[in-house]
Amino acid sequence: MNKRRLLKALSYTVPIVILLIVPLYIKQPYVLHVLIMMGVNIVLASSLRFIATSGQFSLGHAGMVSIGAYTSALLVMRLGLSFWGALPLAGLAAMGIAFLAGYPFVRLKGIYFTMVTLFFTEVIKLTGEEWRGLTGGVAGIIAIPRPNAIIVPGLLNLGFTSKADFYYLALTLVVVTLVLLYAIESSRIGMTFLSIKQSEPLSESVGVNTSRFRVLAFSIGCFFAGLDGAFYSHYLSAVAPASFGFLLSIYVFIYMVVGGMQKFSGPIVGAILLTLVPELSRGAKEYEPFTFAGILLLVIFFLRGGVVSLPERLSKIIKKEVWLRLKSAG
Amino acid sequence: MLAQNLLNGLMAGWIYILVALGLTLVLSIVGIVQLAHGEIYMVGAYIVYYFCVSAGLNFFLSLLISILCVGFLGVILEKFFLRPFRDDVEGAIISTIALILILQTAIVAIAGVSYKDIPSPIQGVVKVFGAVLSWERLITILVSIVLVSALLIFITKTKIGQAMVAVSEDRVAAALQGINVNRVSSVAMFLGCALAAAAGGLTGAIFDVTPFIGGFALMKGIEVIILGGLGSIPGAIIGGLILGFIDGLVTPLLSVQLAGIIGLVVIILILLFRPQGLLGHE
Repeated sequence: MNKRRLLKALSYTVPIVILLIVPLYIKQPYVLHVLIMMGVNIVLASSLRFIATSGQFSLGHAGMVSIGAYTSALLVMRLGLSFWGALPLAGLAAMGIAFLAGYPFVRLKGIYFTMVTLFFTEVIKLTGEEWRGLTGGVAGIIAIPRPNAIIVPGLLNLGFTSKADFYYLALTLVVVTLVLLYAIESSRIGMTFLSIKQSEPLSESVGVNTSRFRVLAFSIGCFFAGLDGAFYSHYLSAVAPASFGFLLSIYVFIYMVVGGMQKFSGPIVGAILLTLVPELSRGAKEYEPFTFAGILLLVIFFLRGGVVSLPERLSKIIKKEVWLRLKSAG
Repeated sequence: MLAQNLLNGLMAGWIYILVALGLTLVLSIVGIVQLAHGEIYMVGAYIVYYFCVSAGLNFFLSLLISILCVGFLGVILEKFFLRPFRDDVEGAIISTIALILILQTAIVAIAGVSYKDIPSPIQGVVKVFGAVLSWERLITILVSIVLVSALLIFITKTKIGQAMVAVSEDRVAAALQGINVNRVSSVAMFLGCALAAAAGGLTGAIFDVTPFIGGFALMKGIEVIILGGLGSIPGAIIGGLILGFIDGLVTPLLSVQLAGIIGLVVIILILLFRPQGLLGHE
């Protein structure tokens, strides 16, 4: 291994090690809760961006989260399945539904696809309210059990009775999600998505089955939303149709845009920063959307690439400034 | 009972038509799906409430004031929030989402989240062949029909209306013929927002007004224009009536949720066989 690769490996390991030892030093449940919510939002925003890499905007993420949440809660409570079995099944359920719904609708392009995903969330919410026998209606499901304990004698003791254990689970979820999404995005499939985004007719003309790939991107993105929903329902131990509404889809969209859609790191940065906004403005909860709207408008008018494009923009401005100074100096 | 349900369906249908026509005007002329259209509807209802209840004006006068105020609000919003993102789907989604948050929070800050009630303009019922029909619902239908007819006459008979048709067909060609596209966009947004305000005010006289009624109106509006065909005015009228009757007839028989599900499933099925909607064209 040469020096550069070693450095690169280190640059990934160090933050993860720091994140791993955080609960040893920070004991306040509130801080851990905020960190867990960051994790949940990172997964949502990154998977939404993944769908967007193929040129589609989904406002249906909240629906997918709720499918995951209900699937996992019901599998555990009705069929007595272990949480660890239910978690991937919840992801697969969201993926399957996204696949079935996505196939007929990929012929709708651009904004029309976005609107259909919006309907879809609404159908899921209404079904949750109506099908009382299964979902508990408007009240939802309460007392969802904690994930089953993982105990490896002398090494690991996760009983999921404390926030710290959930923190580790959330961290694992984030790392696994990001690694998988990154791997797919930099593979040949990811390149195909990008080509569809840039020009659908051109991709078609070189033999890409664009509708198949668009459904694939949508389904994979929804898989992670479903996983996230399962985690969320067991973490909060309750789920109701109203917990995942239109506003959640909008917020996830905002995380992605504010962070920056062009880069993989964008939604991560966006989710981290914007999860802090409601926590910092606790006193004025009802005005919180104002803050979000303000940030959104700043980004759309002045910083189209999102927060992650800021260093690049700044260095460009500085370079220009230096160049002008040099020029004027002679 | 059936007659009353039919009347409720008809009323819901005409309200959906008012909302959907506004959306479709903005979509075909400005080229943007105005996601904050529901919030415009909500603001319209609140303005009627303030003029009607706080200032004590007549309901119809308040409705007229609201229509004009919201129309001009729309012109301002179009200039600053929609026009910069005309050919930019991503930017348009983001800026209209920001508008949703701003308008909703502003109304929460001004009026609070409690339910507001606009007194109905005319009390009482009328008996037709033994069926008991309430006047307020009949008036709502009547006013809606008058407004939609006025819009149709405006589009077909006036010069600016014809310019709107031209811009919706082909913006560049229209501009080359000397049509001021920006002015036409302002007019379209004025009309669209005015119709939404009318729908909001009329509904507000029958149901409660809260800052969160916009989401429902937007959903119904989008459903109607997708069902009827994007950019088609007759399509929006037919689509609105179909959805209105589904909501009016299914809700009392089964439940609100099932009415919503059935409406959406009908749209999804129609889209599968006719992606351009009932009366739309590619």
